[in-house]
Amino acid sequence: MSPLSPENEKRLLCLGLNYRTTPVEVRERIAFPEAHLPGALQQVRSLPGFEESVVLSTCNRVELYAVKEGVADKSGFDLLKAYLVEHFQLEDEHAEALSFYHLESEETARHLFRVVSGLDSMVLGETEIFGQVKQAYKTALESEATGKTLNKLFQQAFQVGKKVRNETSIQRGSTSVGSVAVDLCEKVFDLKQCRVMLVGAGEMSRTCAQSLMSRGAKSVIVSNRSYDRAVELANEMGGRALKFDDWEKVLHETDVIISSTSAPHFIIKPEMIEQVMKKRRWEPLFIIDIAVPRDVDPKVNEIEGVYLYDIDALQAIADEGRRERMRQLQACEQIIEEQLEKFGRSQQFERLSAGHDGRLETI
Amino acid sequence: MTLNQVLLLLATLAFAGGAVHAVSALRAERWHKSQWQWVLILAGFALQTGFLYFRGKEVGQCPMKSLPDILVFISWSMVLLYFLVGPAYRLSLLGVFTGPMVAGLLVLASVLPGAFGAYPAKAKIVALVELHVAVALVAYAAFAMAAVTGVMFLLQERLLKSHRIGQLFFQLPPIRELSKAILRLVVLGVLLLSVALGLTFALEPSTGVTSSKMVFAWSVWGLYAVIALLMWRHSVSPRRTAWLAVAGFSLPFVSLWIVS
Repeated sequence: MSPLSPENEKRLLCLGLNYRTTPVEVRERIAFPEAHLPGALQQVRSLPGFEESVVLSTCNRVELYAVKEGVADKSGFDLLKAYLVEHFQLEDEHAEALSFYHLESEETARHLFRVVSGLDSMVLGETEIFGQVKQAYKTALESEATGKTLNKLFQQAFQVGKKVRNETSIQRGSTSVGSVAVDLCEKVFDLKQCRVMLVGAGEMSRTCAQSLMSRGAKSVIVSNRSYDRAVELANEMGGRALKFDDWEKVLHETDVIISSTSAPHFIIKPEMIEQVMKKRRWEPLFIIDIAVPRDVDPKVNEIEGVYLYDIDALQAIADEGRRERMRQLQACEQIIEEQLEKFGRSQQFERLSAGHDGRLETI
Repeated sequence: MTLNQVLLLLATLAFAGGAVHAVSALRAERWHKSQWQWVLILAGFALQTGFLYFRGKEVGQCPMKSLPDILVFISWSMVLLYFLVGPAYRLSLLGVFTGPMVAGLLVLASVLPGAFGAYPAKAKIVALVELHVAVALVAYAAFAMAAVTGVMFLLQERLLKSHRIGQLFFQLPPIRELSKAILRLVVLGVLLLSVALGLTFALEPSTGVTSSKMVFAWSVWGLYAVIALLMWRHSVSPRRTAWLAVAGFSLPFVSLWIVS
């Protein structure tokens, strides 16, 4: 028999929205700047009946986790929603556009476990969210906004996240062209010593170069027919621009070439790369050909030490990475359900939120 | 079966089992959480050490005078180097490739005619000769490990060239790291063999180090010194030096056969 009557039970709530439910132009209106989080945590706690809170605010989601004392009705969610509308001073049309999910008790725990494991992310299995949740919890902990229930929930969630990461391959493989490029480069070079050159300044080549730079590539050179565009992109990435007539002269000093010109014919040919490889004294060369029609003669891949990938090859690897992660999804969900059961037993969810027919319910 | 035979059989099974387990873990995409290959390699190494200890007691000296004993000693040295080199260069997958080679050497040692018989009686044990042989065999083990690493390089290079990006690709180290590891193992082998050969200048002519052995030993030293120089000066492509490291091991391997 519960020591507390149902009316006085602590209820674990999650009010949230994410990239699936709400477009970015609405999400951005209710994103919490990091500096405002401690204040927001206290404001949520000061709502009637609320005892604990954690606010998770990332570019893809805003979620309020809270513990509220009281009966099983929607009043807790209404209070949270009203708080957000007031805090961000949303006009009626924006407030109505907010499409929240309302989760309670076991559903809240399941959702958090999935979020921490990267299963609810835009890129399935991505790891960045783990750190973001950890930071959100740390902020709440330091602000003394958490209590026994949320502490236990989040600590368990981090364990689940680690377990999913260690026991499945959900985070392995690349799922975007940019990350494929990085993974391949890492199998050839020490990225910290890696010099990148962009021939042509298209959007996709920019993405690839940014992925490489964000993972520690040493330098980037941008060469483009429009020199102004080359300068603009080079400035954006902290590199240097090069006149389009000069790009061939520095090829031998480059480890990774990302080519995306609109030339109607091959601009990088085997005889050119053979000369480059002699100058490089057999140091490997990685070439990413994003252009359509292709910029690089496929015969270049036959030269020793040269590794050529065109857009189809990169896309095929990214597609396989996504398929691989989807194959792992079932194993991840199974781990989460097992952990949820353990956590549920320890938290006695049945007592916390049993519906009229005795099963757990989501509001 | 004698105790030595049991130890050797168990060691062979441990290394072969480790290799089979590693390959199946790779195929089932469970490599990253598999600890069994470490356990099996450690068990195999302990059993090999036990064999060498009891075999040494049996023959009354370091067991390095017959080809089967030499093969066991080289395979033991390879595992020792694997423990030293693997973690340092993050080449943990080396175990997948080392295991089969070590198991193969142990099987070969066991099936050779007259394996693990008694040594002819010796008047006295010359410490410098024992040291010379031991250091030379560890050098040969380094060349064997360079060959194994060369295989890994060639495999990874092929996967990169052919765009076959799968489980094995992600588990194999970067080709630049493999290339560096080959160079370091070859240089280590050359240095150790230089020490072993240097010791022979201090030996009496009657100590059993024959001129045919010396010719082969110097040939091996010369081959690997050239490979090291080519790699160091980047005179040939890393792929070709990997091939040299793989194919080059046939010379020390055959020379062991001939001089023994």
